Amino acid sequence: MNVNAPLPRSTTESPLVRRLLIGVALAFLSLFLFLPLISVFVQALAKGLAFYWHSVSDPMALSAIKLTCLAAGIAVPLNCVFGVCAAWAIAKFDFRGRNILLTLIDLPFSVSPVISGLIYVLVFGAQGWLGLYLNADHPALPRLANWLNDHDFKIIFAPPGIVLATIFVTIPFVARELIPLMLAQGRTEEEAARVLGAGGWQTFWRVTLPNIKWGLLYGIILCNARAMGEFGAVSVVSGKIRGRTNTLPLHIEALYDDYNFTGAFAAASLLALLALVTLGLKTWVEYKNAAALSLESQERMVPTSL
Amino acid sequence: MSVEVKNITKKYGRFTALDNINLKVESGELVALLGPSGSGKTTLLRTIAGLEFPDPGNAQVLFYGEDVTAIPASERKAGFAFQHYALFRHLSVFENIAFGLRVRPKATRPRETEIRARVEKLLNLIQLEPLGERLPSQLSGGQRQRVALARALAVEPKVLLLDEPFGALDAKVRKDLRRWLRQLHREIHLTTLFVTHDQEEALEVADRVAILRDGHIEQIGTPEEIYDHPASPFVYDFLGNVNLFSGRVKDGSVVISGTEYAAPGTAGDTEAEAIAFVRPHDVRITREPGDQKTFPALIVRCNAAGPIANLELERLNGGGQFSAQLSKEEFQQLQPKAGEQVFVELKKVKVFSEDYSI
Repeated sequence: MNVNAPLPRSTTESPLVRRLLIGVALAFLSLFLFLPLISVFVQALAKGLAFYWHSVSDPMALSAIKLTCLAAGIAVPLNCVFGVCAAWAIAKFDFRGRNILLTLIDLPFSVSPVISGLIYVLVFGAQGWLGLYLNADHPALPRLANWLNDHDFKIIFAPPGIVLATIFVTIPFVARELIPLMLAQGRTEEEAARVLGAGGWQTFWRVTLPNIKWGLLYGIILCNARAMGEFGAVSVVSGKIRGRTNTLPLHIEALYDDYNFTGAFAAASLLALLALVTLGLKTWVEYKNAAALSLESQERMVPTSL
Repeated sequence: MSVEVKNITKKYGRFTALDNINLKVESGELVALLGPSGSGKTTLLRTIAGLEFPDPGNAQVLFYGEDVTAIPASERKAGFAFQHYALFRHLSVFENIAFGLRVRPKATRPRETEIRARVEKLLNLIQLEPLGERLPSQLSGGQRQRVALARALAVEPKVLLLDEPFGALDAKVRKDLRRWLRQLHREIHLTTLFVTHDQEEALEVADRVAILRDGHIEQIGTPEEIYDHPASPFVYDFLGNVNLFSGRVKDGSVVISGTEYAAPGTAGDTEAEAIAFVRPHDVRITREPGDQKTFPALIVRCNAAGPIANLELERLNGGGQFSAQLSKEEFQQLQPKAGEQVFVELKKVKVFSEDYSI
């Protein structure tokens, strides 16, 4: 078929309508996406490079960056392992409760992050269920409670709560990415590996993982972006103690509340940069993945001849 | 020295995939499991490989007398070729074949040079030496199937199991590959089971054919045995085209359209309704009525493409259409035309006395 041939009239619009539609889309994107993005960097550099550097190297800012990296550094690997396990279980085995697991994985997507944070406060807070059990007056596990008290271990209004909340809201990313992929790939390659004498781990490392690596990387990138950018759930459990329990998004809010707009935007520019890097990586992985997929579709195109 | 399954039953919920199967494959034998889809043939093959487990009971899978029922697939040493090849898509042809050797525990893993030598030898066997570095996606269907076979052979299996080995290939490649498999089997003489739904394939390639239906073995025997002496109407129908004629049996003969034919195997002296089975190539067509053994019919359609001519005919005294096959020479001698009236003789009639439902 000649692609350049004029399309039948019924499926095309007049040039005026086309230009109008493209114009509306571009105007909308510029107004709501490009303009804010540029303004972040303009505002951040409004008082010069020196002030920018001062803002991002401020001890409070550094502590926020550190905590954000810590939360993402724990949440992303854990969710990566969990995501692979869950996707593996769902795609490769039939078991009772498979659909329940599938629904549960989506739970963090379907509840508001603020509610996720509140749940953690209620469960782990000083007055919460587990908090009461760990209270020395009410010792269910006296030794553990004492040890925790001695070491001033807290979950809520402390880094552990932030890590837990981050893990919760980022659970679905890796699993959601892998489940459709692994379902589509089926089980026969794993079965082939088993019959050839490979054990469970060998099958995973040599067959399953290479097949899902691009999907997994994609999930990790999205998971990391969300983990570092999470605001709602973290803001509820953090207590916002500056220099101790503020993550980068919370730090930005605090600066903004202090009318330190340039400082707020300087910190925000870091997250914006992270977003741009994520976008770049995502595009690259999608490109790689598409290349791998097109190789597979070629596979179907090859005439089945000797 | 054989592969044997005993009392294999497998149920999925209320569906019975395998119903008390017993089968023995002699050492070095090539056996086809033939049956329609849903007859349980693939389930049986997967059970032998250890990819499915039979329902508990006194089920047994024996490899050369050794009970492997409880041994997982990875330790059974069965070579398995999947219907859609299941080649590892990220590994080259060479590494696909080497996989089974590389995953062995250190103690039994051959040295790198030995692995290379063995893979080269197998590449040579499947006539794909120059393609070792290609990815499976860069091969044609027939090439992939041969790689899948080589990969299964690399681990020196005790038994080779092939699931619809030619199912996804086009007709020409099927035939070539079939011949190649037969030749390969002559050379390496490995006990082999293969699943197919293509009766022609089973009859041509196998030493013995087991015909499965609804989870049980309907008949097992050499291709000649089952073709010439089918044990049931199902087998008769499954092995090739067939015409059904209703008639009446009595005293070891059957009457169709007023003509009497010998019907060995039928018993009883009471007259009963029966259905007679006649292969299209056992239908003879003449212009003259000859003796009393013929009945008149009308030619509906002629198709003389290829070495065998196919004719569709209709019985004049009612009873519907049937088909006949003539050799090219017979066809040229007779020169039948559509719309012409001829006389038909049935050379060989088979009547099953018990149950004639197909």
